[in-house]
Parts: sequence; C-alpha cells; structure tokens
Amino acid sequence: MEKSLEFKGIGKSYPGVRALDGISFKAEGGKVVALLGENGAGKSTLLKIMSGDQQADAGSVWLNGEEVHFPEPQAAITAGVSVIYQERQLIPTMSVMENMFPGALPKTKFGLFDKKRLRREAAEIIDKFGLPIDPAEEVGRLNVAYQQMVEIMKAYRRDSQVIAFDEPTAPLTDAEINILFDIIRRLKDEGKVVIYVSHRLAEIFQVTDEIVVLKDGQMVKTLNTAETNEQELIRAMVGRDIGDTYANLSRNEDFGEVILEVKNLTTPYIKDVSFTMRRGEVVGFAGLVGAGRTEVARALFGADPVISGEIILDGKPVAFKSPRDAIDHGIALCPEDRKEQGLTLRTSIINNVAMSVIDMLGKSIFVDQTQKAAIANSAVEKYSIKTPTIEKTVMELSGGNQQKVILGRWTNEKMTTKILVLDEPTKGIDVGTKAELYQRVCDFAKQGLAVMFISSELTEVINLADNIVVMHNGHVTGMVPRQDATEEDVLAMAMLD
Amino acid sequence: MEKKERLKAFYDKYLSPLLRHKVFSLALLLIAMVIMFTVWAELQGRGNHFFKATTLRNILNSLVVSSFLAIGAGSLLIAGHIDLSQSAVGAFGGIMLATAVARWNLPWFAGIVISLLLCAVFGALNGVLVNKYRFPSFIGTLAMASMAKGLMFLFSSIGNNGLATNIVFQNDPLSFIGMGRIGPVPFGVIVMLLFFLAYGLLISKAKFGMKVSLIGGNPIAAHLAGINSTVITYLLFMNSAVLGGVAGIFNTARLGQGALVALQTSQFTGITAAILGGISFGGGAGGMGGAFIGLLILNTFQIGMGVVGVNPDWVNVFTGLLLLIALCVDFVAQRRVSKA
Repeated sequence: MEKSLEFKGIGKSYPGVRALDGISFKAEGGKVVALLGENGAGKSTLLKIMSGDQQADAGSVWLNGEEVHFPEPQAAITAGVSVIYQERQLIPTMSVMENMFPGALPKTKFGLFDKKRLRREAAEIIDKFGLPIDPAEEVGRLNVAYQQMVEIMKAYRRDSQVIAFDEPTAPLTDAEINILFDIIRRLKDEGKVVIYVSHRLAEIFQVTDEIVVLKDGQMVKTLNTAETNEQELIRAMVGRDIGDTYANLSRNEDFGEVILEVKNLTTPYIKDVSFTMRRGEVVGFAGLVGAGRTEVARALFGADPVISGEIILDGKPVAFKSPRDAIDHGIALCPEDRKEQGLTLRTSIINNVAMSVIDMLGKSIFVDQTQKAAIANSAVEKYSIKTPTIEKTVMELSGGNQQKVILGRWTNEKMTTKILVLDEPTKGIDVGTKAELYQRVCDFAKQGLAVMFISSELTEVINLADNIVVMHNGHVTGMVPRQDATEEDVLAMAMLD
Repeated sequence: MEKKERLKAFYDKYLSPLLRHKVFSLALLLIAMVIMFTVWAELQGRGNHFFKATTLRNILNSLVVSSFLAIGAGSLLIAGHIDLSQSAVGAFGGIMLATAVARWNLPWFAGIVISLLLCAVFGALNGVLVNKYRFPSFIGTLAMASMAKGLMFLFSSIGNNGLATNIVFQNDPLSFIGMGRIGPVPFGVIVMLLFFLAYGLLISKAKFGMKVSLIGGNPIAAHLAGINSTVITYLLFMNSAVLGGVAGIFNTARLGQGALVALQTSQFTGITAAILGGISFGGGAGGMGGAFIGLLILNTFQIGMGVVGVNPDWVNVFTGLLLLIALCVDFVAQRRVSKA
C-alpha cells in the first residue's frame, strides 16, 4: 500500500479571518513536499489541522486512501502523523531514551520498567540515525540541534508514516542543518510522507521534491522543485515580482550630525565597544550569535549595567538607569525575542501599542481612552496591520504583524524616538514582509531617525545598512561602509579572533 | 422570518458581547442562585424566607472583612503575584489595634494608624523578597505569614505573664466602626462599597491599573517598554498587607477584642473570590467588579445554604464544588478565546 496524505477542500475560519479555503493536495510517500507561503498564508493552521490540534470547518483529510478524523493530537499520533514543531515537546529533565518512549516504556515481567531494554531499543534507533547521542543523557543538556533529532527519533520510534517539520532549521547551524537534511532524506528513502515548512528558499531547493505555495489561506500553485526557481516562487508567494529587493530600496542619502557616540563601552558582556551613529543613518551590526550585539543594545537601553566607557547622546554624556530613562531620552528597542520580551500576548493591540506612553495618555491619573485608541488606530493604519479591530489580542496575529505592533509602539505620535534599535527584526518573517520592513527601515532613516539594525543574516545587514559594525566575542572587530562590504570580508571579521 | 432576523441582529449586537463579558455571566449565576434559594426556602414551607431585606443586609455585612482581602489579593494577582501572608498580617494588625487601645491606652485612631503602618512594613518586606532577591512570591510570602503569626502571639503575650490571649477592650468609636449603621446600612458595608468603587476605577481606568495588567501579562516586555515594575510591585505588596490590616481592624472592631484566631478561615477567601470573579491566576486579566461579584456569589451561596438548613460541613464541600465549576467555565472560555 502506497503511503500518502491527502487534503480535500480544507477550510478553516476564525472570527474575522478566513485562514484556509479550499486547500487540496496530495503528499505521497517517498517525497518531500514543501509548504511555502508568507506569514499568515495558512501554513501553521494547516499543520495544526494535520496534528489534530485544531479541526477544519470544511473538507476532509485522507491517510493512505482512507478518510481520517483527528479530534485531538493523540488521535493523529496513533494514526501515524507526527508534527515536529519549533517549540520542543520534550521533557528537559528526563533522559533521551525516556523522551523517545513516552507512555510506552518497556516493562519487565514484574511490571517495573525495563531500563536495559529501553536503553537497547533507544540505542538501536540512535545508531540507525548515526548520531553521537548517549541514550541516558538528560535532554536538557543536549544542544538545540540534537534535541530536535530526539524529537524526530521519537516520531520515528512511533512508526509515524507522515512526519511534518515546522521551520526546523531556524535554530540550527550550517553543519547541523546538513545532519537534519541527511535524516530527512533517510525518512524519504524509507517511503515516508515528509512535509517541510520553511521560509528559507535555498533549503527548499536542497531537500524538497514538490512545493505547495499558499497565499492568504488559498493554494496558489503546486510546483515540481526541479522545474522552478527562486524568482518564480517569490512571485507566487507575494503575488508580485519583488526583483532585487535591495536595489529597489529608496534609501536616505543625506545624513545629519552625529547623534550618538559610544566610547569604550564595557559591561559584563561586552568590552571596549566604540562606534558612532548619525541622524538618518542605518548602522548594521553583524556577527555570529553570541557576539555581543544584543548586549550593546541592552547597555545602550539601560537594561544592562555599564562598568566603564561613555555614551554621548546629542553631545551630552548620559547614563541610563532603566529602560524608562532611555526611552525618555529618545531611544527605542525592539527586542530579539518578540513573544518573550516584546509583547504582552494575551493583551489587546491597543494596550501593546500604548504601553510605552501610558503616563502621556491624558493629564489626569486616568487613561484617556480616546487618545489611547487614536495612537493604536494610527499604528494599524501606518503599518497596515491585518486585524479586524484594535481590541484583538496580539497572540492572534501573525509574526510579521506582531513585529509591526512593536514598531507601532516605538513610532507612535507620543514618542520622541531619535534612535531606533532593531534586534533581529526579520527573524521568522517571510520574504514579502521582509522586503516591506527593509523599506520601512529606510523610511525611518529619511525621517531623521538613526537606526541600529542587528541581524544574523549577513546578506541582509550588508545590503541594508549604510555602515556596518562587525562584532566578535564581545569586541568590535571591524567597521565598513556598505560600498566596501563583501560577505567574505565581513564573515572573516565576525569569525576572527 | 424578518422578525427572526431582527432578533438575531439584536442578539449579535447587544447580547452576544454581554454574554462574553465575564462580569455579566457571573451576575447571571448570582441571580440564578438567588432564585434557587428563594424557591427552595419557600418549598420547605417552614416559614423560612430567603428573599428579604435582612438577608441582603446579612450577606453584604458578611462580605465586609473578606472584601478588603479580596481587593488586595486581586490587585496583586492581576500583576502576577500572590500574597499568602495577607490574612496573617491582617490578624497581626487586628491584635496591634487591640493592644494599642487596651494595653497602651492610646486613642482608637492612633491604634489604627500604628496597626496599618506595621502591616505596611510587612508588605514592604514582601516586596524586598520578590523585587530584590527574586523569590517567587508564593515562597517569600509564606515565610512572612509564619513570622507575622508568631509576632502576633508574642505581642498578645506581653504583659500577660508570657501567655498569649485574646485582648478584650471597650471602645465606642471602634464598636461603631464594627457594628454601627448609617440609616439602615451598616458602616462597614459603606466603606466596602467605596473601596470597591475606588479600586475598580484604579485598576480598570487609571494609568496605574493599566501598568499593573501589563506587568501581569509579561513582566519582561513591560520592563523593556519602560514600565517601572519594581515600584509598582512594592506598592501592590504594601497595599495587599495594608488592606489585610483593614480587614483585621474591622474584625477586631466587630468582635470588641483582638482575637488570636482572627481571619484564620479567611486565609484563602480573598484569593478564591478574586479567581471566581475572573481574575486570571497567571496575571494580566480581570478587575474589581469581578472580584466583588465573586465574593457576593461565595457568600450568597453560604448564607443561602444556611437559610435552607444544609449541614455546614456539606456547605464547605459544595463551596469547593462551586469554585471548581467556576474555574472550569473560566478555563473553557479561555480555551475558546485562545483558539479563536
């Protein structure tokens, strides 16, 4: 019997949003099928329906030629459908083998759990995958990549016929990505149905055989990976040809005076960091993860203690004791982790936009509701945030729209932002929204803001920023203007000791 | 056909948003409960009536002491913290008032000021543990509860050969605070309603309240958006302790003595009522209207059970069930929201 997973006319609505509409395609065993689309295109919703986390309003799911219903995740797992999410579903304090056999620990004849057999069976699977993992190791001690492998082996152990990956490479290094791809190819060779969701086009060409493109909850087209190219995919995803994103940017050409001068800044995490920023300038911060770029931003923002060095803002030396202090001096920070550090997810858009200026909403001790609604409405309008009302909780928005809520907060009418710090603003955001965000960054610069742009995507930093500061191990290792920057040079400085 | 459509439009526009509002559905529950007890009492035919002015007054009067606990606990819960020392600190405050009046011969108002100031110190210490030493509030306040209780016993034993006792006193202004009425309305009920009004406005309409909810929703994001969570956390812990003290003072004034067992049964009433009224246990949601109705439901239930003559031991069991049902409804509603 040929393995397959087929969707027939799947539809799903949330209040005010049609998340999926008439999705029909068939994923066959022995092939890797990519799900591609912008944020909010419906990929996550489709995965959730596949895993039994949510139920479709219309249409049906067919597994190996039979119609199936997954009222809950356990039903999908029992039927042999596993979804590997970005957020690990592992218990970090338990061992690898215990995590691989949840609820199915082998027992001895006395009914106690058989540790030897468990270890042997776990080791067999680990060997099959060719991974250097000790079955008795605590999962929390493994690095992210191996944790992900444990998750995959858990699905494999359950003899899942369908394995779906949701943005699996986001936290991985290049070497780790290669291990993952080997495993995906192995699953494919064993005839399993593999579904692969990713924003990274290069990867899609590396591992997938077919591509299903979604847009606004509808299927745009199904393509053979071998017969298409990046341009065609981007066109299909965004519905327009974005061409060379960077060449088409309308940039700010004239810079103002120096607004920020950082001299020999030292904190517990960074050492001797010096750089300057001018009005209207985009300063990129390149470097590897952990190079200290986020820490420079935090020190500037009054969130980390400063040991020595100087911060000179508008010609005056400053020392911020708290983020509030920095905000009042015109510095704004969009933190690296939107959900953990940037937003109050269960709260409305309106409160998330207004939270930096609460004390400015009217003169009395009470919040002026009209003013509050006005700044939220203008943020929704300015950034075309997709939402039926400003009362909607931020949790219900897509990643790109959540990022826009934070931008709306820092650029609302009551703020006097002079320096905007963006820490990994394009993380988890799709190609179309990225291009939109790049233009926004240039627009901020045109309005006279100095923008500090931190990103781990090298191409992005060296093409967007006017000047690039390269960091390694808490130090600044180089500074280059865009005209002179090449990926090779910047990478060398980022890795140089 | 057209009429049906108009009814549907009316439902969509007015009723459906109301039904989704927590306070409204709780009010419906309260009304259902009143009807149930009224019918139940009449059916018994023993001349017991539930629906009468004195029952209402009894219910409101029975809320007074726990209402201050609920307001303090509720405000803290919204910010994502819990104060387990509140009732112990309140009982300590009650004993301090009695000590000041009966043993030190101070005027009643001086006793109240001293008692509330000492409670505020406890609250500030809770704030230090949570803010400075990063204790989970659950642990820090539990330790503080034990200390407050110990100190209460020690204070009551001073000048009594080291023996801890209840402290009896005779003081007219205090007995007015405890038992007096303005017209037909008990003084305590008036104070309670004013407090609910003031805190309701503070939490749902004032800038302070907006900050409190945002801190409860995500303390890191609130800090990075420039909200001074440290100061607010201090204020809320001190507020919780001082309101515990107010509850202790009303209790002492009512009994005419500082009782060592004061507020012992109310240890979780405040928190229970707040959660029943829709203040989320994880912080970030809810308001004072909900806490008030939560308290009202709790006490109507208990007094109603008394009127129809249910065995008090069963009343405790049923109260637990009621809380479970309320939490289930809350949980289901939350799940529906998060799926939407």
